[in-house]
Amino acid sequence: MPKAKRKPVLAILSLTCCEGCQVAIFDLGERFLELLTRVDIGDFQLAEEMPDVDKYDIAIVEGTAITKEQKRRLKIIRKKSKIVVAIGACALLGGPQEIKDYRGDKNRLIRQIYPNVRGIDNPNIKSVKEMIKVDYEIPGCPINKEEFLVIINKILAGNKPKIIQQPVCEECIRKNKACLLLLGKPCLGAISLAGCGAPCPKNNFPCDGCRGPRKGIDLDAMKKSLKIKARINDKDIELILQRFGKKNELIKNKL
Amino acid sequence: MKLRIDHIAKIEGHASFTADIIKGDVQAAKIKIEEGARLFEGIMKDRKDEEIPEIGSRICGVCPVAHSFAGFKAIEKAYNIEIKEPSLSLRKLMALGQLINSHALHLFFFSLSDFFGFKNDLQLINAYPEKTHDAIKLREIGNRLVEVIGGRSIHPLTPCIGGIRKSPDMDELKQLLSDCQNNLELAIKLAELFIGLKYPDFHRQTTFVSLYKSDEYAIYDGQIKVDKMIMKPENFMLMVKEVQKGNDVAKRTYFAGKSYMVGALARLNNHREQLNPQAKELLEESKLKFPCYNPFYNIMSQSIELVHCIEEAIKILNKLVKMEKIEVSEINAQNKTGEGLSVFEAPRGLLFYNVKIKDSIVEEVDIITPTDQNLTNLEADLEEFEKLGGFSKLSHKEKEDKIKMLIRAYDPCVTCAVH
Repeated sequence: MPKAKRKPVLAILSLTCCEGCQVAIFDLGERFLELLTRVDIGDFQLAEEMPDVDKYDIAIVEGTAITKEQKRRLKIIRKKSKIVVAIGACALLGGPQEIKDYRGDKNRLIRQIYPNVRGIDNPNIKSVKEMIKVDYEIPGCPINKEEFLVIINKILAGNKPKIIQQPVCEECIRKNKACLLLLGKPCLGAISLAGCGAPCPKNNFPCDGCRGPRKGIDLDAMKKSLKIKARINDKDIELILQRFGKKNELIKNKL
Repeated sequence: MKLRIDHIAKIEGHASFTADIIKGDVQAAKIKIEEGARLFEGIMKDRKDEEIPEIGSRICGVCPVAHSFAGFKAIEKAYNIEIKEPSLSLRKLMALGQLINSHALHLFFFSLSDFFGFKNDLQLINAYPEKTHDAIKLREIGNRLVEVIGGRSIHPLTPCIGGIRKSPDMDELKQLLSDCQNNLELAIKLAELFIGLKYPDFHRQTTFVSLYKSDEYAIYDGQIKVDKMIMKPENFMLMVKEVQKGNDVAKRTYFAGKSYMVGALARLNNHREQLNPQAKELLEESKLKFPCYNPFYNIMSQSIELVHCIEEAIKILNKLVKMEKIEVSEINAQNKTGEGLSVFEAPRGLLFYNVKIKDSIVEEVDIITPTDQNLTNLEADLEEFEKLGGFSKLSHKEKEDKIKMLIRAYDPCVTCAVH
């Protein structure tokens, strides 16, 4: 006789970030409550204050580890989890907080903001992915809650979900008509990973690549199009590419 | 005796608390912030004007609309741009949506368990399944208001310098109107639940600061009201001081050298007579006396505001759906150099953005969030927490629970506080 199956232990954990990805999970509403009936909660600070448990089957992590304490915690999370799912631009790309690293003046910046900087950690930002092994990625700023639910359900069912490597343009309602790039807007849809449902171009907002680049892109061709069609220069392109801390990703992809 | 609460749960962001109790007197009460510094005011520098609201909204995933609008309004002030209808009404609706979803989240999922002693929201959900569904439904209405107009509920897309860049779908606005009308009753029921709760007995006199407008319950814009005094935001800022204590990454804010409170309780204290009819009736039924110096009532105040916001959304939507077509336009400013201060009522209270821009490139940004301001007041409350009714008879554990309850009553957003 097989033993009664125990429920998987799920933890939803947050490092430094806006917590918008956790809010997106909450925004699933009734469907989130239904999900909770299928798991045991290991840790979820937004909804409970129970003592922490020893092991997680699935740990969902948002944010970047900036303080020493957060870095320590992230390592512990990895050790006690069977599966780590990193969610959002901060955990996967570094997030907007990584912009400071590209400026070359992060130590001056922090002094402008805080009179007393002693003891405040100001490291170069690393994504969760650069610090620990991550089993699954759900990108976006914020994540697409529908995609999140599909992926988590597959993981819970024991499957191995994969995000299809295709450009945001594939999901864009402007595809083949009124393309923002052709209208002269700096849209990164062509190099960015789809799965978001392309809400930005739908709302006349050019894609700025919050989900990071898809595999096998031609960055130089993208830059050339941006220069010719959107009439922006190398510096402007750099500033857009930095927005969610995607530099590491792009360099790796080019190789 | 040492009081120490690590990792306060059910607040947005990470913080802990320490204090000493010496001969029954609470001393050295301190909220310790445990977030990494993100240096938002620094990273916006040397970027394009429109990146202030885009990057700024990433300060907080619970109130991104507030950060987005505070940013746009500061730029528009710097450029001398005035927002026209229907963009203004659309922005106001998004602001209401933000208040509705944030308040519903805090009221039901962060605060209510404290009144019943539940340590896990699942216990709450099992005990009150119907109320859970109501709270979720109300949150969804708030989210839909932001999504239908803003294009996305978290980090909205359509607001732009001078207005809104895309007209919402008329059928979706009509659907929103009927959703608001059909669920006003739910909001009233939820408010009645919060009015009926027993709040801890604690008072400490303080100063209440909110936005003020003579003709409406001010959320989107207005003057600053400091208790009974009304002043220009620029004049208010002259008397505000941000202080960093030790090496804390969240600053504390003082007005004329003193702590003050912002948020729902401050707004009700300052201009409750401008509430919409149903909200006003509920407040009267509650028999709450004003001025109310009990910060625990910030929770009940949010529930009253929830009703007010849905009533207000109905008013605005009624006006919009009567229009034949909603046409929005972008404004291209001629002069893109200037300095502008904006103030906005975020769910947790006043949010200030002061920007300096030269030829559309950002030179300086200064942001003061509601939690920066409330932390000062909260710590001052905690310093006098021995005044809580029956404090001396409470066990160590019960004292800690009451302290956590007060911290949560302020609805602090630590991610906002460290920006």
